[in-house]
Parts: sequence; structure tokens; C-alpha cells
Amino acid sequence: AAAAGGGWAEVCEKFRTARTLSAVESRKDPETEPYRSKYSARALLQEVKQLLSAAEEGGEARLVAVRRAVLEYELGVNHTDTEELSAGEEHLQRCTQLLEPHRFSPDCVSLYIQAQNNLGILWSERDEIKTAQTYLESAEALYNQYMKEDGNPPLDPSEHFMAEEEKLTDQERSKRFEKAYTHTLYYLAQVYQHLEMIEKAAQYCHTTLKRQLEYCGYYPVEWALNAATLSQYYLSKQCFMESRHCLAAASVIFSQAGQVPSAEDNETEQDQQDLRQRKAEIARCWIKYCLNLLQSARKLLEDNIGELDPDRQLELKAQRKKEEEEKEKGRKKAVLFGTSDICDSVLAMEEKVSSVYPLDFQEAREIFLVGQNYVQEAKEFFQVDGYVTDHIEIVQDHSALFKVLAFFEEDYERRCKMHKRRIDMLEPLYADLNPQYYLLISRQLQFELADTYYEMMDLKVAIGNRLEELDSHTIKKINSLAQLAIKYYELFLDSLRNPDKVFPEKLEEDVLRPALVAKFHIARLYGKLITSDSKKQLENMQTSLEYYTFLVDYCEKYPDAVRAVETELELSKEMVGLLPTRMERLRAKLCPFI
Amino acid sequence: MAGKARSGCEALKVVARCRPMSRKEEAAGYERVLELDVKLGQVSIRNPRASPGELPKTFTFDAVYDASSKQADLYDETVRPLIDSVLQGFNGTIFAYGQTGTGKTYTMQGAWAEPEKRGIIPISFEHIFTHISRSQNQQYLVRASYLEIYQEEIRDLLAKDQSKKLELKENPETGVYIKDLSSFVTKNVKEIEHVMNLGSQTRSVGSTNMNEHSSRSHAIFLITIECSETGPDGEEHIRVGKLNLVDLAGSERQSKMGAHGERPKEASKINLSLSALGNVISALVDGKSTHIPYRDSKLTRLLQDSLGGNAKTIMVATLGPASHSYDESLSTLRFANRAKNIKNKPRVNEDPKDTLLREFQEEIIRLKAQLEKRGMLGKKRRRSSRRKKAVDGESAMENEGEDDNEDGLEKNMENYLKEQKERLEEEKAAIQDDHSLVSEEKQKLLQEKEKMIEDLRKEQEATELLATKYKAMESKLLIGGRTIVDHTNEQQKMLELKRQEIAEQKRREREMQQEMLLRDEETMELRETYTSLQQEVEIKTKKLKKLYAKLQAVKAEIQDQHDEYIRVRQDLEEAQNEQTRELKLKYLIIENFIPAEEKNKIMNRLYFDGEEDQWKFQPLVPTGGNSNQMKKRPTSAVGYKRPISQYARVAMAMGSHPRYR
Repeated sequence: AAAAGGGWAEVCEKFRTARTLSAVESRKDPETEPYRSKYSARALLQEVKQLLSAAEEGGEARLVAVRRAVLEYELGVNHTDTEELSAGEEHLQRCTQLLEPHRFSPDCVSLYIQAQNNLGILWSERDEIKTAQTYLESAEALYNQYMKEDGNPPLDPSEHFMAEEEKLTDQERSKRFEKAYTHTLYYLAQVYQHLEMIEKAAQYCHTTLKRQLEYCGYYPVEWALNAATLSQYYLSKQCFMESRHCLAAASVIFSQAGQVPSAEDNETEQDQQDLRQRKAEIARCWIKYCLNLLQSARKLLEDNIGELDPDRQLELKAQRKKEEEEKEKGRKKAVLFGTSDICDSVLAMEEKVSSVYPLDFQEAREIFLVGQNYVQEAKEFFQVDGYVTDHIEIVQDHSALFKVLAFFEEDYERRCKMHKRRIDMLEPLYADLNPQYYLLISRQLQFELADTYYEMMDLKVAIGNRLEELDSHTIKKINSLAQLAIKYYELFLDSLRNPDKVFPEKLEEDVLRPALVAKFHIARLYGKLITSDSKKQLENMQTSLEYYTFLVDYCEKYPDAVRAVETELELSKEMVGLLPTRMERLRAKLCPFI
Repeated sequence: MAGKARSGCEALKVVARCRPMSRKEEAAGYERVLELDVKLGQVSIRNPRASPGELPKTFTFDAVYDASSKQADLYDETVRPLIDSVLQGFNGTIFAYGQTGTGKTYTMQGAWAEPEKRGIIPISFEHIFTHISRSQNQQYLVRASYLEIYQEEIRDLLAKDQSKKLELKENPETGVYIKDLSSFVTKNVKEIEHVMNLGSQTRSVGSTNMNEHSSRSHAIFLITIECSETGPDGEEHIRVGKLNLVDLAGSERQSKMGAHGERPKEASKINLSLSALGNVISALVDGKSTHIPYRDSKLTRLLQDSLGGNAKTIMVATLGPASHSYDESLSTLRFANRAKNIKNKPRVNEDPKDTLLREFQEEIIRLKAQLEKRGMLGKKRRRSSRRKKAVDGESAMENEGEDDNEDGLEKNMENYLKEQKERLEEEKAAIQDDHSLVSEEKQKLLQEKEKMIEDLRKEQEATELLATKYKAMESKLLIGGRTIVDHTNEQQKMLELKRQEIAEQKRREREMQQEMLLRDEETMELRETYTSLQQEVEIKTKKLKKLYAKLQAVKAEIQDQHDEYIRVRQDLEEAQNEQTRELKLKYLIIENFIPAEEKNKIMNRLYFDGEEDQWKFQPLVPTGGNSNQMKKRPTSAVGYKRPISQYARVAMAMGSHPRYR
């Protein structure tokens, strides 16, 4: 028995060496022999296997089978790592076969799941994602069934080759088991992503994140960033509740990372910089959240001319009251992150901003203010000097926030002021930008500025229409706004010209619509200019007609363009028909004697 | 080149280059799968595993260089125009792209020692500095930087502290730049080569595993050429050209690093490490109206000007000819083919605000002014001391004209300093000699004098410092013909002169030939004026006879044509009659033997197929209902071309390839 005991100790020792070899030593292998340690580990495992089969006689059949399964598993992983897939598969299959009858027992379940994980990886490497999926899904099912029926922390595979006194605590066992399952979920997420089952993939990513949090297997900063990114996925699917939850959790976890003065004080300046950058990144995700929420609400509420529809508003309000809470709670449970203390702070964070569509100005304003705060936070890091592109993107979002807030505002004067704020933030940025390096961005800015001026002019006209008579001040204002809008549209169109200042014959796909819309708006703006001088008016009409004609002619020449500007084209055609007669009439008025 | 630039858009120039078979490959008996057609600029690649009937895939590029091509060919034909435009102030980029071991580094750097085998980089150095040395009335400043991107981290290969990661920043005026990137001002080929070598050394030393590292990292050598020239408007214009020489990581790693903004190709593999969870999540998010932290690649951002920006760009795709690298070569060719579609809009960088050259020029002016001021200052003080001396009752001595000339100034200074010193020493001696003074006072005076000497020395030092700084600054500015000693210059110039002469002579020759032709015609006309009536009659008769013969020939021709025509008409008439008869017969048959109902049915089904030029029947049943009327395929063959066995079907369900790989 002593000899047998000694033999066992030797076996355990060899097994342990093999494991360290493949886990630790293999990282130091030279490039010329990348698998040196893995090969020596394999040799050791083979030895162990032989020793084991020698001692097999007389042993308890089940125990022997399990031990052999562990060895087969290790060998299988080893072969997979060294790119010998078929051999690896053979070993892993043998392992699962040996374990099949005992797979629900605590000493086998973990090993079985890990074997299936590895089979999944192996098949994914053969580009057979479907096969991988079946293995991983069966691992997932096994975990669920085991937790339902037994639930005790199962043995870790390595324990089978350990002396009694070295065995792990229940806590450690549970941790390792859960980790194996987390990996299963993570691999499943990837499998679903490759199969383009995006929703499922996102769900599994979410669960992976959740489990990382529960079992403390995460780096706070990285985790927060991942959660924030996931929120963006939910945004694109219009799941604002989930998105908010992810963001709130990201913020909470991130603030924890900031509090723990990470053990070593020698944290370099660079790390600090990184930390600040990531904080700003999360803030940007929040901005997008607020913006998307407001914009979706706007889409729900607007009527066909882009104004707030009061009937829709009432209808939605009634509807919201009815279904309030009930449904939300059901969904909420499914996505909740973390343990109770984290959960509380996450919920507190969530309180600060709503996740339901805002239906009136008050609600919209609250969301807007939250968004604006995050804009300030993000801008703190992404300053214009050094992060031009990012900074401008943030300012553009800020401007978009104002734009959508203006939609909820009923008072035209105040709405106008909001647009003015947009101008104030965009114009200096545009002035500083060198279009040679930031052509795309400066085009975007030109267009947005022009659009904003255009909208302001429209508002002023609407205000003017309410008055009995237009006073000269309003007229002046309208005209100057129109001129500015024209100026920026023209700047945009000029940016399309080639170095020799020639406007391109055929517009590129990506600028086709903006360019034609710019032409259309300029035409309309010239039509709107108010002047008492008939001659001047005639001139403006002529220019307006020219721009309309350009649009019509262009669409005739390139019928592909029609799709991009259908409504604009229709109106332009009408105008091209109408304007000449109007001009004729005006001319007749000018010179009544001819 | 200029013509292309004028059109505004310029596609990326893509050339392919193939290395010869290596000895190892020949020994292993690999076949050649690449065929290059240098004249047409085509590369065709044959799949070694394909059936013999399969056609090779063909790609067309701007130029193709086969195994026998020389480094100089590639440079002269493709690269030289690009470097020329960099010297004119464009931005230029040259990429080398391809599998590891296909000669990227050979193409870019080549073998330094042998002039024949020098790559693009050393030849371009030569080119740049030769150009500068030949230029006139232009000031140049050439800077070089060397950096590498490894695992999304930027390292400065010329900096002392290698551990420092550099940051990519943006400036609203000048676009993307790398913060704290060191750059060296170089004055000649030797210096820039030194910079290059220094960087290459750090690159190999800095990593434990050279080969692995270099095949995974991108190296970028940046040359900035600033040129200042006085324009016709009398103002100074500064142009800045930037040249990026990029040695990309091996293309087999490319997909893994996600360069060029592409998603990794081998996406079907599962990532084992949980740290990649972020990648998985961001792959789920689509970019519109959302923000995805950390996604863009450094290389792409750094070279965004070159890829669809305002630079001129050349991509050299390097290939291996042997069959075992078929897949890689094909993917390289495909990538290169895609790259052809990238359009750039090159622009001259004229008068950018922050050029170093301008800074240098300003600094020089400032230093000059300072030096002059110092000179003045010295003089002033001298005057004041003179005044003091006058009070002391001692005689004043020297007087010099002011001189703006820097040399004179220095001499001035020297003389002046010497004199001052001498005088001070004299005074010191005088004081010591003067026993009448109280010793205390004497001490004080002595100290004062000592201090004055000290001050003087300091002043002198400062002036010297300024002067050296000034000189150093000025020496960095390169002016053609003066700063760089170009040995070949004279001969080259002679050669060019000769070439011009030859061209001139050719032109003259052409002119003379044209003149000769003109003269010939004149003589012809002259000959046609007749000497006498007799002669005229003779010639005219001759002409008449000739023309008459011609007339007869034409008449005969017409008759022939007419006959032919009549014959054809008769033939046609006959044919028509025949057909009419036939038709009548057919009608008769139809009327007598086919019931009217049937006839109508058939008539309704008839339609004329214009393409095949004949009448056809419409199918009896409409095509739409075809499927349910057709008999079903046997159940064993659902979805397959032919019935297959259960075993084979199971095997197919297991995977496209029933046998394990």
C-alpha cells in the first residue's frame, strides 16, 4: 500500500508539473519552438496515463474512469493548443464518453462542462460554428440542470490529482465552477455573433458582464467601458431601459475604480490620462443615450410637417399611464446587474434620468439637462486642442440636443434662442478648422450652420406672420438670417469644387443629397428674401429660379439622383413652372407701358 | 503627373512586384503560379490545386515588376515622380504591403552597401538632397522622424527613452500629429542615413524577438521637407511636403491587427480571453447615432491623409511566386486591387502657419538683431566709461565706425574687448602704484575694476554663445549649391546642358525639314508654268487621253452594275413567286384540314421572338402554375442535385467537407 501511495504521490507530482508547464512555462517559450513546454507537458501526461493504467487493476472502476477522463481532457486541450485538432478532438470525445454516465455528479460536472467548452472552441476553429454551438449549448444546459438538482459546489478537475489535504475549499470550488460557466456563456456570445444572431449575442454578452460582476472577475475600468458599449447596442435597438441600466452600472463601477487608489502609488501620469479618457468616453455614451431618447420621442410625436402633434401627445400620455410599471418591472429583472449594494447605487444613478419617452417640454428639458452635463464632462477631457474630431463630435451632439429640445418648445422666440445657442457653439469651431485636414467635418459644420440659420429664419417668418404688420427690424433680421444661411450653403457647395474651382459634373454618392438639398434651400431662401425694391426682387427670383432649374436639370441628367430628393424635386419642378409667370407679372408691373 | 493633379482626384497608385523563386523553393520543387506581363501591367495567378481547365485570375495594376526588375527601375518609373511632387510641397506616402518574406524590406530599404540593390528609402534620400543642391534661390529644411506602431502603441525610434508611449493628437490647424515625436534636422544624405540606421537599431534592440516583432509592427519613416522661395510677388512662400515611407506589418498579420479599418477576417474563430469581450460587444453595435469607445486604429488615423486624403500615395504589393504562398499572394492581390479604388485629392501645402523653417528664419533674424544690439550696447557702455574716464582725467582713445556686417561686428567686439581689458589692467596697475590713496579706498577701487573685468568676460561669453547659435541655426537651412557640396554637380550640369543642346538641335532639324517640304511644293508649282504653247498642248492632250480612258472604264463599270442589278431582281421575283405559291398551298391545307377553332387556338399561342428571328409557340400552360403541375422530385433528393445515400447526407450535415482536416 505504501508503494501504491508513493506511486500516487509521484503521479500527482507529475500531473502538477505538466499543468504548470503548459500554463506558466509555455509563455516563455522561444519563437522558434513555440510549443516546447506544451510538448513536454504532453509527454508527462502520457507518462501519468501509463502509470495510471498500470495501477488500474483492482481500483474502483468509477474512480479510474474519472481520473482517466481528467487526463484525456488535459491531453485534449494540449493537442488543441498545439494545433493538432483531430487528435485533440479524439481525446476530448473520449473524455466526454467516459464521463457521460456520471456527468451530474459533483466530481464530474465541472470537467464535463470544460470539456464541452473546449470542443466548442475546437469546432469554431474549424469554421463549424453550428457544431460549436451545440456543444456550448449542451454545456449551458448541463450547468442549469445541475444547479437546479444539486447545487453544491462541484470538484475542480485538478482536484482528482491532489492529496486529500490539499483539496480546495467550497468557496474556491464554486468560484472555479462559475468561472467555467462564465466562459461557456462568453463563447456562446461569440458563436451567436458569428451566426449573426445579434440579439442573442447581446444577451449573452450582458449575462457575461453580469456574472463577471457577481464573481468579482473583472477590472472595473474595463468592465465599465464594456457595459457602456453594450448600452450603445441597446440604444440602436431602442431599448432605453436596458441602455440606461448599463450606463448607470458603468458609471457606478467606474467611480469605484477611481476611489480605490490602486495599490501602488506610482501610477503614472499616463494611466491617469487613460482613466480620464475613459470617463469621458462613458460620458459620451450618456450623451448619445439622452440624444437618442429625445430623438425617438420626437419621431413619435411629430406630425407630417415636423411639428409637435398635440393629439399624439395626449394619446401617448394616456397610454403610458395604463401600462406604466407592469411591463417595465418584468424586463428589469432580466437585466439587473450586480449584488445588492452595487445594485442600490446603480438604481440611485438611474433615478437621475428617465428612460421613458419624454412627452412634453418639462420632461424633455430634464433629459436635456442631464445630457448637457455629460457634454461638459466629456468636453473636459476631449478638448479642441489635441482631440479635434472627438471634440467636434461632442459639440455636434450638444447642438443636436438643443435642436431636439427646440422641437418640444412651443414659444417661437425661445425656440429661436435655442438655435442661436447652436450657432454660437458651432461657428467658432468652424472658423478654427483647417478644411484641408478636416474636409468632412467642416462640410458637416457648414451644412449644420446653414440649416440652423435656415430654421431660425423660418421661425422669424412665423413670428412675423403673427404680427399685424412686419416692422423693419424683423425684416432686417429675416434678411440677414437668410443671407447667412445662403452663405453657409454656398460654402458647403464650394467645398465640393475641385482645386480648380470647378463644380463637379456628377456629384459623388455621399454628397449627392446634401448638395442638392443645399441648392434647393438656397433657391427657397432667395425666394424668401424681403425687399421693397421690385428690381431687386426680380433679381432674387431669377437667382432662385436658377437654383431650382439646376436641381431639375441635374435630376433629368442623372435619373439616379431622383431617389435621393423626391419631394424636393417635385417642389422644384412646380417652382420652375410657376416662377417665370410670376416674374413676368412683376416685370409687367415694373414697366407698365410696354 | 501635373495633368493628373489638375484633375483634382487621383487614385492610389498601385504597383505589384514579385521576387524570384528562392533556392529553397526551387529545391522543394514548388511550381510558379504567378505570371507577370510587364508591358500590360498585369499579374495572373494560377491556382495550383485547380483543374487544368480553370483560368488563372488576372489583376491589372499601374505597373508590374517581375523578378528581373532592378531597384532603380521601380524607383525611376514609379517613385521618382512622387518624390518630385513632395519636393513641390505635396504630401506623399509609399506603402509596402505583402506577406512576410516577399521582399517588403528589400523594396523599401534594400541592401545599403551595394548601390545596385539600394531600396526606395536610400535612393529617395539621394534624390532629395541632389534636388536641393541643384536648386537656386530656395531655402530648404529637411527633418526626419522614425516611429513604429506595435499593438496599437506608438514608439519613437529616435528617442532616448524607449518605454514612453506616444499619443496621437489633433490640431485644428494642422490635423493629426504625434505629440512629442522627436525629429532631426538633417543636412545631407549621410546624416539622414544615420538617423535611419539609428532608428533601425533601436527597432531591433528594443524587442526581444526581432523577427516576430518586426513582422507584427508597422514602421513609418517620416521626412518633412520645407522649402522657402521668394515668389514673383516679392513675398516669401513656404511649402511643406511630407513623405511617409511605410513598412507595413506582414499581411498575414494584417487582418489580425485590424489595420485599414477592416474587421478581422478570421472572425469565425472564438476569442478565448475574456479581455476581448469589448471587441465582441462593439462588433454588435452599428456606428450610426451611437458612440463606440476605442475603436479606430492608430495606423489608419495617422495615414488618413494618405488613404483618401490629400496625399499622393503609392502602394507596392510584394508577392512570392511559388505555389505554397498561393493563398497569401491572392489575398495580397485582392487587397491591392481594392486599394486602386481609393481616390486622393492632392494639394500643395503652401504657407502653413507653423513651419519649422519659418521659425528658424525668424529665430535667425532675432539672433542677428540681438547680436547687433549687444554690439551697440557694448559701444554705449564704452562711451559711458569713456565719459567716466574723462572725469578721471585720463585720455580717451579709440573710435570706430559702426558696422552692420556681422564679421566686422565680431572683430569689433574682439578689438573692443581686448582694449577694455588692457585698459582695465593698466588702471589696476596704476591704482596699485598710486600710493597716495588710502589703502581701503584702493582695495575698493581694485574690486570694482575686477568686477568690471568679470562683467566684460560674461558679456563676451554671451555674445559668443549667440554667435554660435546663430551659426548653427543658419547651417541647418539648406541652400542649393552653397550649403551642400555636390561633387557631381558640375558634370551633371554639363550633361544636362548637353541634353538640352541635343533637344535644341532636334528641334532645329525638324524645322529645317518642314522648310524643305515647303520648298519642294514651290518648285513643283514653278515647274507647272509652261514654257511655250506647243508644250502646253502636248501636255494637255496627254492629260485628256488619260482622262478619257478613265471615263470609259467608269462607264463600263456602270453597265456591269446595271446588269448585276437586273439579274438580282429577277432572282428575287422568282423567289417571291415560289413563296406565294407555297403560301397558297399552306392556306389551302389549313382551310381544308384544320378546324377553324383549332386554327384560332394556335394563332393565339403564336408570338414572334425577335431575338431568334422566328415565330414560336407560347407554352400550353402559363409558367406560373408550372411547379404544381410538375411531378415532384423524389423525396430522397430534396435540396440536392441528385439522390444521395443516407450516409452521404449525414456526412454533409456534419460539415461541408466530410473528411476531417
